[in-house]
Amino acid sequence: MLITRCKDRELIDILKKKRCLVLKCFGCREVYFPEEEIDHILKEAGVSASNKGRFDYLCREEFTERYLKYLERVLKEVDSVVVFSCGVGVQVVSKMLPEIPVIPGCDTYYINGFQGITAQDVDCQQCGECWLNITGGICPITSCSKGLLNGPCGGAKNGKCEVNPEMDCGWVLIYKRLKALGETEMLKKSAVNIRDYRIIIEGRKDKDESGRKT
Amino acid sequence: MDEKTVVDYTKYRLKKEDELKESLGGINRMTLLWCKKCFTEFKEETEQECQQAIKIIRGLNLSISHCEGIDFLCNNHHTIKVLQALSSEEPVGVISCGIGIQFVASFFDGKRKVLALADSVPQSGNATSIAGYHGIALGAEKCAACGQCYLEKTGGICPVVACAKSLLNGPCGGASKDGKCEVNKELPCAWIEIYKRLNGQKRGIDSRIDIRDYNVFPVDEEKKHIKINQERRREGFYGGLYPLEQKEATEGLSIRVFPAPERVSIFLSQHTGIPAKLLVKTGDKVKKGQKIGESGGFVSATVHSSVSGKVIAIEEKVHPVSQTLQTAVVIENDGRDTPDSSIEPLISRDGLPREKVIDILKEKGIVGLGGAMFPSSVKLSPPKPVDILIVNGCECEPYLNADNRLMIEHPEELLKGIEIVRRLLEIKDIIFAIEDNKKEAVESITSAVKNYPDIKVATPKTKYPQGAERMLIKRVSGREVPEAGLPFDVGVVVFNVATLYAIYKAVYEGLPLIERVITVAGEDAVSPGNYLVRIGTHFSDILASCSGIKSSIPEGYELRMGGPMMGIVQKDVNSAVIKGTTGLLLMKKYPVEVSEENICIRCGRCVDVCPMELIPYYYAYYGQKKQWSDMARYKVKSCIECGCCQYICSSKIDIVGLVKKGKRYADNKM
Repeated sequence: MLITRCKDRELIDILKKKRCLVLKCFGCREVYFPEEEIDHILKEAGVSASNKGRFDYLCREEFTERYLKYLERVLKEVDSVVVFSCGVGVQVVSKMLPEIPVIPGCDTYYINGFQGITAQDVDCQQCGECWLNITGGICPITSCSKGLLNGPCGGAKNGKCEVNPEMDCGWVLIYKRLKALGETEMLKKSAVNIRDYRIIIEGRKDKDESGRKT
Repeated sequence: MDEKTVVDYTKYRLKKEDELKESLGGINRMTLLWCKKCFTEFKEETEQECQQAIKIIRGLNLSISHCEGIDFLCNNHHTIKVLQALSSEEPVGVISCGIGIQFVASFFDGKRKVLALADSVPQSGNATSIAGYHGIALGAEKCAACGQCYLEKTGGICPVVACAKSLLNGPCGGASKDGKCEVNKELPCAWIEIYKRLNGQKRGIDSRIDIRDYNVFPVDEEKKHIKINQERRREGFYGGLYPLEQKEATEGLSIRVFPAPERVSIFLSQHTGIPAKLLVKTGDKVKKGQKIGESGGFVSATVHSSVSGKVIAIEEKVHPVSQTLQTAVVIENDGRDTPDSSIEPLISRDGLPREKVIDILKEKGIVGLGGAMFPSSVKLSPPKPVDILIVNGCECEPYLNADNRLMIEHPEELLKGIEIVRRLLEIKDIIFAIEDNKKEAVESITSAVKNYPDIKVATPKTKYPQGAERMLIKRVSGREVPEAGLPFDVGVVVFNVATLYAIYKAVYEGLPLIERVITVAGEDAVSPGNYLVRIGTHFSDILASCSGIKSSIPEGYELRMGGPMMGIVQKDVNSAVIKGTTGLLLMKKYPVEVSEENICIRCGRCVDVCPMELIPYYYAYYGQKKQWSDMARYKVKSCIECGCCQYICSSKIDIVGLVKKGKRYADNKM
């Protein structure tokens, strides 16, 4: 899921210099959204209440469209729009206001998890070809910092990763899990294939087979 | 926009048949779990993948001993209950995205073989690495979460997502003459699009774009965020929310007496249960505190006049809770406040027998003032022994401060109220629960209970809906009220602070429930505050005095009785304060109208916030289709209408409204 952090203080200069409309999307504030920090910046920059809008789910285009219509009069008087949201929200607003420069107020990051608002301990990078059958249910792409598919790099010490000593070596975990299952032979039998990055470009490799659109 | 963009962001698809056959080799029996998917338009309960898998599995002469579809398999809290119930040792096949499969595998941790029967669906796009994440709604825009947003410089078109090579410093030069990408000819060159957009805005690239920093969000920092998120979600009870508190405007304002209005309208139904029976007729003279409605049964309550004067009408008025017409007694205030003879302090209250005290509370019309208005006399006669009294001083709704002010200004009276309840129920342990955002109230109560060693003050961290009985009981006593059960099933009774204050007033001063403290606030309130108002005061009188509005609710605003989460939107300003009125808020309407056509996209957020651990999206789905009986299958009667699901809903569906209808159906049916 996407989370946001407020951009640094140069925003205050922009807000002070230009006539800005500020849009805050708080749809994901229960996940993480720096609302207090943003309010602080707006206060320091002296943005007037009439030039501020608080709104959730900017990513939902029909809502955003109606909301921008509601703000039509204000939009005529500003020379840029500052959007505090994830990158999706900024892009949606830009698409609808192609003539006005849209300035992102936040940087967007990813934390594990797709559904709901609760972050997950494990991650899925949507590689499109699940390896978990071979690796005892531990993903080598997300739990190995190098995303290696054919075993450990050899750099681990005491089961910890050489890139980040705080992290467990994903392949050590995989080996332990397979040992507990009595299936270490699995690794010899089915060598992990080379990852097929084409899947990402093409979307669903077999989209005609399943008959559904991408 | 003429055409709505609804992209299917389903996270998994079944593996190919030959792959499945290979991985299922050497197995005789298995359990099959499948996720009901997320981020796809919710049309019907789809079992497509599951059916397909079953066909393949059966074709291999494998037997499936258990097959279960799970809503959001990655929701650990719900799924773990399913996994714990699986008793056999056979392998588990999982149809879900990688998160779901890894979660199941880590649950069994080497004790059972877990088979991945599905592949994740990669985000199609033209970038060679991850092609970006979609937002919560199913739009076409994606964000790569690079942590260093370039959109300001690129006119709102993201070069990381839209350029096949994720170039940050301009086009690669490989685009065809008609502006198409050389990697994927169906897509336009992102940098040409960026150039056009910037030209339209009469600006060029105004500063050089920095080199992308791939370590801008290190693993440790991500882990820290995940930990914070998970702790917040699991804090105290499952689900719940942290809405903006908005209490600053009125938390420092002392309770003021709201002047008795010229007229009051007193509803005969101001409590859970049967409405009171009318005792007066038009033209009657009544005194302040005189009984005008007699309790209509065991679960019912008496109703009293809050002013002295003359009954000028008995008419149907819009009830603030049901929003339907209900009988109200309209009394013209003579301004003298002549008290009824029944209002007199009890001289020897300490030795009063139990029945006598309950009779007093019944006679004085005491009901729960937290909003539910359950008759206190019934609550004080539990069919099972009770050993914990929880005093509910949470007031978790934003804006409201009525209970908060009572705790600050009247701690001694509250303790006397607690003593009355304690004696009645012979309770040893008392927990006084105040949310930690009410510092002044915590101080006031802590110093007041110094001489009461058996009263513990608990200050749980603010979380909505902590003031709901079940959540509060779980948080401060650790006990869990069973489904369809009541607090006394686990030996607990909960009283709201305002109710205890009313109990004190009834027993010590003989005062019936004819006034209460409410918070008047809202975005544009002229004089927000906490007021002691007479029951029956018209909303129009309060609005005139606090917001300068007389006749009707101004356009673009809505009037809510209660807080912003559970409060009821009022259609008539001539409705009046009842015993369960905790506040009156004049709020700006949300600028975007809620459309009935908005569809559920299974973002799963409602499931994550439902403190009753229900699956609210079914209520949205079946409610919109008016299939009320299907709603009952998903335990609609267990819903406490806290509004968390509706608050978080990314489609803005009126889930609570649909739930209320579904409950009415369930009631008529049963």
